[in-house]
Amino acid sequence: MNMHAGNTEPDTEAELLARYAAGDPAAARLLAAQVTPRMFAHALRVLGDQAEAEDVTQDAMMRLWRIAPDWRAGEAKVSTWLYRVVANLCIDRLRKRGGVPLEDVAEPADPAPSAAQGMQQATRLDALQAALNTLPDRQRQAVVLRHIDGLSNSQIASVLEIGVEAVESLTARGKRALTLALEGQRDALGFEDENI
Amino acid sequence: MFSEARSAPPRVPDALMAQVLADAQQMQPAASSPGGLMSWLRVLGGGPGVGGLVFATCVGFWIGVAPPENLPDVAGQLLNLQTSAGTDDNDLTSFGWDIEEG
Repeated sequence: MNMHAGNTEPDTEAELLARYAAGDPAAARLLAAQVTPRMFAHALRVLGDQAEAEDVTQDAMMRLWRIAPDWRAGEAKVSTWLYRVVANLCIDRLRKRGGVPLEDVAEPADPAPSAAQGMQQATRLDALQAALNTLPDRQRQAVVLRHIDGLSNSQIASVLEIGVEAVESLTARGKRALTLALEGQRDALGFEDENI
Repeated sequence: MFSEARSAPPRVPDALMAQVLADAQQMQPAASSPGGLMSWLRVLGGGPGVGGLVFATCVGFWIGVAPPENLPDVAGQLLNLQTSAGTDDNDLTSFGWDIEEG
């Protein structure tokens, strides 16, 4: 379940950040390889736009490099801090969109493999992204953090700076809304009795 | 669908990763050399420690050059700019007070 959040130990990330701050050139490469994919994936799922997700990821990583010399180990986990930065940058972007209908937001590039057996999966992922785009901003963030990024409710509470109960409410309502949005496509997406 | 989304994360574009690494390189603090001036300053307690040392040195020098009245003017004595006059306490006993008091 916690596939992405558990890719690296937080202590390892903090250690790499400390090594980066001390001038170790290899530490940046290792740390970037560990956290950049997760931040980019989260931004892409929340924003639904490749170019904006790239901008947000680069901006968040620059903030991480900037704060590295002043990072106080033990106060926060590096990945949780980064998720919070990315989440806030995404919210800023979504608010700036204002009245732009979600239908006008560009579909993300197909993240699935191009093999023939992946076509159904690609269709499902596109449908999931389209359904995610219909959710209110905070619900979308909470659902992505919980069900795709694999964070715990307490981690999500820290990222979104809300209480755990609010996280539970957001994810529950978000999941119900997603189920409703995908209900009409159940047959087309190849579902039988599966849940989303 | 969530598990499918987790198992097929979007691939980070090469250009983005290259830009992230370039930013990291540009913003990375320089590695500190073990024998440099900064390491000596750190041994002495960093900025506050060195500041205290400089302050104490200045105060000590000032007291040496212009001492308060109740302190001996050591610098003046060393440079023969001040003469000292001792008091002769023999007068107190020259009349034999100690003998008369018995």
